[in-house]
Amino acid sequence: MSIPFLVQQTMFFAIPLLVVALGGMYSEQSGVINIGLEGIMIFSTYMGILVLNMFVGTIPPQFLFILALLVAGISGVIFSSLHAYASVYQKANQVISGTALNLLAPAFFNFTMRNATGSNQLYFLNQYRIAKVPLLGDIPLIGELFFTNTYISTFIGLLILAISVFVFYKTRFGLRLRACGEHPQAADAAGINVYRMRTYGVLISGLLAGMGGLILTIPTTTAFGGSVTGYGFLALAVLIFGQWKPARIVFAAFFFGTMKTIAATYTSIPLLVGLGIPGYLFKSIPYLTTILVLAFTSKKSVAPKALGEPYDKGKR
Amino acid sequence: MLKNINQDALKTIFASLVSILLGLLMGLIILLITNPNSAFLGFQRALLGGFNRLPRSLGEMLYQATPILLTGLSVGFAFKTGLFNIGASGQFIVGGFAAIYIGVRWTFLPPSIAWVVGLLGAMIAGALWAGISGALKAYRNVNEVITSIMLNYIAVFLVNFLVVATVFNQTRNESLSPTNAFIPRGFFDSLFPRTGVHMGFVIAVIVAIMMWVILEKTTFGFELRAVGFNRNAARYAGVNEKRNIVLSMMIAGALSGLGGALLYLSATGVHIEVVDVIPLQGFNGIPVALLASSNPLGIIFSSLLLAHLNTGGFYMQTLFPTEIINIMVSVIIYFSAFAMIMKSLLDKFLKRKGGKSA
Amino acid sequence: MEHVIEMLNITKVFPGVIANDRVTLQVKPGEIHALLGENGAGKSTLMSVLFGLYQPEEGTIKIRGKEVKISNPNDANALGIGMVHQHFKLVENFTVLQNIILGIEETQYGVLQMKEARQRVVNLSNQYGLRINPDALIEDISVGMQQRVEILKMLYRNNDILIFDEPTAVLTPQEIEELMKIMKLLISEGKSIVFITHKLNEIKAVADRVSVLRQGKYIGTVDVSDTSKEQMSEMMVGRPISLTLDKDEANPTTPVLEVSHLSVAGHHATKDAVKDVSFTVRSGEILCVAGIEGNGQSELVYAITGLVKQKQGTIKLNGKDISVASIRERNTSGLSHIPEDRHKHGLVLEFDLAENLALQTYFDKSLQNHGFINFDARTKRANQLIDQYDIRAGRRAKTNARSMSGGNQQKAIIAREFERQPSCIVAVQPTRGLDVGAIEYIHKQLVKARDEGKAVLLISLELNEVLDVSDRIIVMYEGEVVGELNPKNTTQQELGLYMSGSKRDKEESHA
Repeated sequence: MSIPFLVQQTMFFAIPLLVVALGGMYSEQSGVINIGLEGIMIFSTYMGILVLNMFVGTIPPQFLFILALLVAGISGVIFSSLHAYASVYQKANQVISGTALNLLAPAFFNFTMRNATGSNQLYFLNQYRIAKVPLLGDIPLIGELFFTNTYISTFIGLLILAISVFVFYKTRFGLRLRACGEHPQAADAAGINVYRMRTYGVLISGLLAGMGGLILTIPTTTAFGGSVTGYGFLALAVLIFGQWKPARIVFAAFFFGTMKTIAATYTSIPLLVGLGIPGYLFKSIPYLTTILVLAFTSKKSVAPKALGEPYDKGKR
Repeated sequence: MLKNINQDALKTIFASLVSILLGLLMGLIILLITNPNSAFLGFQRALLGGFNRLPRSLGEMLYQATPILLTGLSVGFAFKTGLFNIGASGQFIVGGFAAIYIGVRWTFLPPSIAWVVGLLGAMIAGALWAGISGALKAYRNVNEVITSIMLNYIAVFLVNFLVVATVFNQTRNESLSPTNAFIPRGFFDSLFPRTGVHMGFVIAVIVAIMMWVILEKTTFGFELRAVGFNRNAARYAGVNEKRNIVLSMMIAGALSGLGGALLYLSATGVHIEVVDVIPLQGFNGIPVALLASSNPLGIIFSSLLLAHLNTGGFYMQTLFPTEIINIMVSVIIYFSAFAMIMKSLLDKFLKRKGGKSA
Repeated sequence: MEHVIEMLNITKVFPGVIANDRVTLQVKPGEIHALLGENGAGKSTLMSVLFGLYQPEEGTIKIRGKEVKISNPNDANALGIGMVHQHFKLVENFTVLQNIILGIEETQYGVLQMKEARQRVVNLSNQYGLRINPDALIEDISVGMQQRVEILKMLYRNNDILIFDEPTAVLTPQEIEELMKIMKLLISEGKSIVFITHKLNEIKAVADRVSVLRQGKYIGTVDVSDTSKEQMSEMMVGRPISLTLDKDEANPTTPVLEVSHLSVAGHHATKDAVKDVSFTVRSGEILCVAGIEGNGQSELVYAITGLVKQKQGTIKLNGKDISVASIRERNTSGLSHIPEDRHKHGLVLEFDLAENLALQTYFDKSLQNHGFINFDARTKRANQLIDQYDIRAGRRAKTNARSMSGGNQQKAIIAREFERQPSCIVAVQPTRGLDVGAIEYIHKQLVKARDEGKAVLLISLELNEVLDVSDRIIVMYEGEVVGELNPKNTTQQELGLYMSGSKRDKEESHA
């Protein structure tokens, strides 16, 4: 198909990946591993879509979408507080706690859905597509690529990126957060409450992963089945490939977004169909390329030094 | 001296039991909120589990326990070496395919040994699949959680492709029956007729005991545990930690692959469906391993417990969706993460009562 | 006011140990007050209580005559108390400036205002002669500069009660002199200093009074000018202790370890950590590599023991080339290694004592049978070593390694490494963090090994240890061997000059 279509599709895949990976960045830069991003995405998307269905028709679409995004974000904060409590205050094994979230979210979705409706597909009306942004959509080339056939969530995602970068590098909060992930003893001695900062880090990851789940689902399907097809884990890969820094994360997110687009739309690209590779293997492209890229870039991987180590004030 | 060792094991068991109780309690609360009238009946069925309708339900339970016993061993064994094998599902399906292929296509083998070859083929397939993650981790420092997850998806796509290409039952969109390699039922046939349980369960238990022996009694197991606890010290002591990481993942993969074979070579009519779904048995191995603190002998019991609960879920599905069991399990896992804290709380509690501290 | 700090009857308890047992400390304003005690005596704990990192179980604290409660470092700061820790509390990948302002950042609506902060830091730096580069990353600067950053942190916060925890452990003699000068300058500006140490020389050099702690208890306070080093030492240890080691003349014979033109790559690809180093260690001698931490000693040892691959050069053990041999091969060919970090490399803390003692030999025919561990043999061997080396462990072979004291953990490592009858022992900072009794013991063991004909390569940062224990000294500076000295003919001052790169031997001698 056409280039503009491909670019638009890539945005639908890359932006949520970016937002969730940024969320993961906040958690891990504060020192807490969060592999529960998948579960948070699922739970929050569920909540967000429920809100959409509840108010559809009574509120103008774009405002409803924004409201749903807020609800999804807040749901993410609430859901991730389980992980924050376990990891920060109970000094639990962070991988186990994250796994519990991943198991709980789909189970919760399926149970409540089947109980209420008997089915496990949550349909929603997709009235949020913006066919063309007034004025901006008329700019030659750029207009067609970025301002037609788009969603408000894309722009919100980019706004989140800008805010994240600013907060991370230019604010006191960002500085203190990073200190907690690199050398919590130093932060503690400087009078910073490490427990509180780490909790914020996890809650922010919940906020962003929650929004990211909805940002992913709305443009790409019309029914939510309680799964985000491994996106939460892909976001972790983006985070690691991005070396926990916003600039590289953006690059990584768009790289994978492009791969995912190719895998999803290859049937419409004659060149790729002509290669004769069976469909099933095409679907593996995002996952294969992830592995390949990480194989070449992980040697010098430098994670935040205190990542994964529960902080214990009383330890000698 | 011996007493003190057992004290630590007892504390772990206690912490696990508390997690389980909390999970069950949570489930009951949710049932009560959803439908107070049927809640207690439903909860009772869940608790009775494999004993709901003897002997059939018990046979079902053992049948269900078999694959997750192995994926639990797979995850647990990797944990002991410091690795998180979240790729058990991928290894499971790859092994399952290998077994089915042998069962369907290698009809030149007499049925009495075809299933054994099937099991071996599955183990080799699983080992190779997991070996990819292991090698990437050992030699290129790639996080094994990410590679395992990626390989799960690739495994599903690959196996779907291979099933369609080699052992396809087009009318039902699934794999053909590997009738030549069905695992014999042995004495289970008379004990639990009309269920799926077969000698695979016995094999699984034996394998669990073998894994325990390897980890605790051999020099190889000693090396693996050293690498798991302190990779640097293991290296200093001359252990080839890279090689051991790969070997450990391969063993874990073989275990999951074997689990797949034991499932798909049962004469119960279970087939690989050609859909893009990652088999759950791999993920269910995680709670099994965590509840038993990765101890192979403990895993025998935790897999039975999980199967027990799942069977209970089956028998209560007329009243409630079975996912309530998954909710209970995830709550159990959540609280098991607090095991350390529970153990130290238990310590404080015992001290206050004037008992001797460990 | 009589006292600026009064800590009265402070008791601090950790699980299983009373770190401070009704300890009293009284510091006069404007004095340099030393806090003396062995490792584990409770000095750091006491100061951590003062700084708000720990809460005491009992006792009161008065600052400038007023009773106070210090619940966290912010409270301590508000009272004007600052602390330079032994292990620097600096974030490695932040800049100097970021580290100084962390915790008291200037902000406007949450956004960092760096310009004003930078100006203040530069002014303070000039005022006190503390040379730093505000934009350098901590991981790139020297240890001396890192310490100056720590001091600036205190000054930036207008602290006037300054606590220094073992500040000289990482400095050359010249840098130590500089630090002493800075301390005197700080006092003249109205500050009071508490200075934790176990080094008697330094107490004599700057302190006015010294309080002594021993095993958590307060022993007494004396005027430094009226007390001799021997008297201070006796207060510290509880018995008269000889400050020098008793040892015979060395009789080195055949070369055992021959290192030739060894170069090892460094962290940053541009600089080598070890540059063309050559030396020989003979049977029956203790060769000590002296130098400030971070000049290539660690990398040198890693290359010799096989933990890291060298860029070029050869290593021979008893004539056999082990330059590319695996670690296991080196260990079984007669090389023993007492590592720098006993928790990182030396022990698996989750294993018990028997398992740790068998860590290098578990595959030996005597301890296993076709891959199956022979537990009886292993336990028996472990108990033999426990008795022979006097390792204190509550449950003997079954003791969990993590629960053992540092000194006993180190003894276990030494037992294991010596028992293998190596021909060459590489010992890196074997007495770090240990009390005087353990230090004495380990030094005796090293000399004994030497007398039995082993070759000992000792890496040490403690100048006393270097001069006392070694038969021959080579000094490393920035990856090169810059000098070879005879301990009998040299002084700490001269060693200091070599260690800081101010002096080097001209000829390229093969040590």
